[in-house]
Amino acid sequence: MSDTGKGVKELFEEVINQGLCTGCGACITGCPYLVDHEGRIVLMDKCTGADGDCYKHCPRTFLDRDAISRTVFGRSYDDGEIGQFSEIFMARSNDPEIRGKGQDGGTVTGLLIMAMEEGLIDVVACTRMNKEKVPRGYLARSRSELLHCAGSSYEACLALQAYRSLPKDDLEKIAIVGRGCQIEAVGKIKQIPPQNSPAPKNIKLSLGLICGWALSQSAFHPYLKGICELSNVSKFDIPHTPHYSFDIHFNNHPDTMSLRLDRIKPFINPACWFCWDMTAEFSDISVGSAGAEFPGWNTVIVRSTVGSELVLLANRKGILESRSLPNHRLENLKKAALKRKNAAYENIVKKTGNDEDLLYLKTLPGAIAERYSGNNE
Amino acid sequence: MASIGLEKSGAEVLLMGNEAVARGVIEAGVGVASAYPGSPTSEVIPAIAEVAKERNIYVEWSTNEKVALEVAAGASFAGIRGFSVMKQNGANVAADFLVNLNMTGIGSAGLVIFISDDPGGGTSNNEEDSRTVAKWLDNPLMEPSSAQEAKEMIKWAYEVSEAVNLVTFVRGVGRISYTRSNVVLNELPDKNKPKPFFPDIWDMNNPRKSRFASGPFPIFHKPLHEKLEKARTIFETSSFNRYMGPEKPKLLIITCGACTSYCIEAVEELKLKEEIGILKLGTTWPLPEKLVAHHLISAKKILFVEEMDPFVEQSVMELAASLLPATAKLSFFGARSGHITPYNELSTDIVIDALSDILNVAYRGRDIAYENLSREAAKLVPHRPINLCPGCPHRATFWALKQAITLDGRNGFLCGDVGCYSMGFSEPGYFQSRTMHAMGSGAGVASGLGKLKQFGFDQPVLAICGDSTFFHAAMPALVNGVYNNSDFTLLIVDNSATAMTGFQPHPGTGQLATGDPATVVSIEAVCKAMGAFVEVCDPFDLNKTTDALLKMMKKEGGTKVIVMRHMCQLVKDKRRIPREYRMHVDPSRCLADNCGCNRLCTRLFGCSGLIVNNETGKAVIDEALCAGCGLCSSICPANAIIKEAN
Repeated sequence: MSDTGKGVKELFEEVINQGLCTGCGACITGCPYLVDHEGRIVLMDKCTGADGDCYKHCPRTFLDRDAISRTVFGRSYDDGEIGQFSEIFMARSNDPEIRGKGQDGGTVTGLLIMAMEEGLIDVVACTRMNKEKVPRGYLARSRSELLHCAGSSYEACLALQAYRSLPKDDLEKIAIVGRGCQIEAVGKIKQIPPQNSPAPKNIKLSLGLICGWALSQSAFHPYLKGICELSNVSKFDIPHTPHYSFDIHFNNHPDTMSLRLDRIKPFINPACWFCWDMTAEFSDISVGSAGAEFPGWNTVIVRSTVGSELVLLANRKGILESRSLPNHRLENLKKAALKRKNAAYENIVKKTGNDEDLLYLKTLPGAIAERYSGNNE
Repeated sequence: MASIGLEKSGAEVLLMGNEAVARGVIEAGVGVASAYPGSPTSEVIPAIAEVAKERNIYVEWSTNEKVALEVAAGASFAGIRGFSVMKQNGANVAADFLVNLNMTGIGSAGLVIFISDDPGGGTSNNEEDSRTVAKWLDNPLMEPSSAQEAKEMIKWAYEVSEAVNLVTFVRGVGRISYTRSNVVLNELPDKNKPKPFFPDIWDMNNPRKSRFASGPFPIFHKPLHEKLEKARTIFETSSFNRYMGPEKPKLLIITCGACTSYCIEAVEELKLKEEIGILKLGTTWPLPEKLVAHHLISAKKILFVEEMDPFVEQSVMELAASLLPATAKLSFFGARSGHITPYNELSTDIVIDALSDILNVAYRGRDIAYENLSREAAKLVPHRPINLCPGCPHRATFWALKQAITLDGRNGFLCGDVGCYSMGFSEPGYFQSRTMHAMGSGAGVASGLGKLKQFGFDQPVLAICGDSTFFHAAMPALVNGVYNNSDFTLLIVDNSATAMTGFQPHPGTGQLATGDPATVVSIEAVCKAMGAFVEVCDPFDLNKTTDALLKMMKKEGGTKVIVMRHMCQLVKDKRRIPREYRMHVDPSRCLADNCGCNRLCTRLFGCSGLIVNNETGKAVIDEALCAGCGLCSSICPANAIIKEAN
């Protein structure tokens, strides 16, 4: 299904120059032509290659959701609002240190530390904020390194380049943590094996982060730098209560800087308005906040056998404390995910001016596409 | 090579034109010789330096041509013959001093400049006819047609210089400077020179010789013209002006310098010796008018054959106009008629074409089959674009610069300069240089661009210059930048030599023209003292260098300097410094044309030590060319280029 014969030239023409780049980092393949410089994708020189992983693995060149589902889950695509799943519940880490560092309940960090300690994985390709709170792709290989990676910046960062930085013959067992677009790219990597990165079979675990949108680093970070001392920031949060705000917590004083979300929204990466996948539908497990009603808890969507086994092990080891997800929370989650798909469909058709041309979703089965046309709330 | 200064009189030796000039300098008893290197003249000073001690000559590499001429003038003022040598660009640099020197006159001892022009610009960044400088500034000018004549002319030029009290030019071209031919040597003068003495200002018996400061100008400019008229009189009877041919030629060629041989060959080839006369002028400014007039009137058609500007052509046309009506029936051919191109080098073929057309003579040098075959054979010659040498540190600098400018993303650019790194404007320098003019102009132009912020200009500005160019002319531009708070970064590529012209030492190298030790002038200390923000990098550390460049481009305001220090590979070879690494490519790792590489090393990096194996498509090291510098191993994305310590 891959569009063969295309490379970096087409990647720029079809994605980057079109404002569709999600900043996932899948194209930063370790080649000398596309590099991550301070969070920007930079084209270093002319590549004449016509069979580029940069193009093939980009989640916005073409995305055959059914083919990826068959590769990842061994079954056809579940076109429900939040994709394929076997169970959904709320959880938080039992370890107070992890809970303290995590964005909500520390479930992602807790699961990864356990998987590493159990020898299921050796390295985690994830994101780590530096002193200036700039998130960068990072390879974590220990509990302490994973703890440093906990917490969200809300900024899109080219995190997948961390996986790409591993040599092709690397035999480590890899876990990847990412947003929906990044997990879509991991799905494509599993579907079309990479030419210069570790084999897909070495990717033992992919953890998805439920994501409404991400902020454009090049626009947002300078703004943030102008309003606070970033090295003193302890946490960024969108607490959903009492009303939506972007809160900045500090190490050195108890006052929280609370920004109205309206002030933050102009910094959202415009590519996010074309996103179909809020809940990282191709992950083994997707994790998000459990919302204002349940502060300090995560929503956990278990999708694959690998995911189920990991959760089973976590329960057996007492790593996670879990409780059932109230029905209205599930409905809210589905509603939000559906809203995202509807908006994506509408924005794509608006851009192409044609409901036959769905950009990267060109392979979306007609029946699914139809459900969303004219179904906007 | 025989030492040109020690061979005995009467010996016939094979000499390069520049060596013949050097021998002429020694035979003339010159005491002080100075120059800044510049092809096609760079071999003159080293040839003199080789025998400087033996022959009691002071010889130096000066920081630029103006200073060089000033040094030689100092000798002349104190009664010692001075000599300076420069290429056409150098004449421009020295011109400011020269125009003033002409007003004051030289000292009691002669002062001669050998200038070699570069028709076609093969070793230059411009094409310029320096004879115009002699006319512009009022200096006697001679043009040798062979190495032997160059040697003789240099000696005679001192007599002329002393007779008219003016700097005298001997002007060659690359073909004279670089051609080797047999030269018969003359005797060497006494090594001992007169004791130099700067004339006492109170010497009222000879006041003009005790003061070298001009003005009032109506008084000083008039005698300058009188001096030239005196030179014209001397030139009228010079044996360097020769006529060859019948008494009443059908066509008279007036030529000079290197073109003389083309004319003789063309006339012989056309078998027209009985009909065509050749007036070869050795003294071209001021024009020996009586001599030329005599020959003009004896012919009906005149063809001027000279390279670049129609210099003699214009002088003779002016003379012809003054001789009317005696010259009324003459037809003139040359640059004006389009028969001779006023640019690039000439050749025997061009002269043959001109003569065939003017005289309506059919000529075919070779038959058509031969011509066709030779055209086919030419296609077999592999394309060999100009390139930096394997191991050249400039490649590392340009690579790091390309990376940094691209990463920075604000359309930064480099103002180029004159040296091996001139190649920055083309493929070997990854097209990074965007301007190139005179020595030191990169920094000067950058100093201007760095002040455009107030108009909304926001591109990072960089400039480049070599170590020798820094001392030559970039220093004033850098001071200008610092003083005026111009925002640019100057890269001083210090490869420990004036590499482009043949590895001559300069103030930063700790070596004199004679090879003796010298005070080292530290480039970074000079830049720091000027007030620039200075860093020193080894460009072979590509990552560090790229980071330093990024940092400098980001640093707002002020003039910044990075000294890129890495020795020229050819200097290393000359000093027998062993190769640092043995290089090889691991074919199992080489990605070649595949995703992840796309032949970065052979397609873009472009070191000629790396080639493609036509069978496998993989990169391989060309053992014959690889300098073992190891740079390519740090750009290979697959770590396939392996360096092993030698």
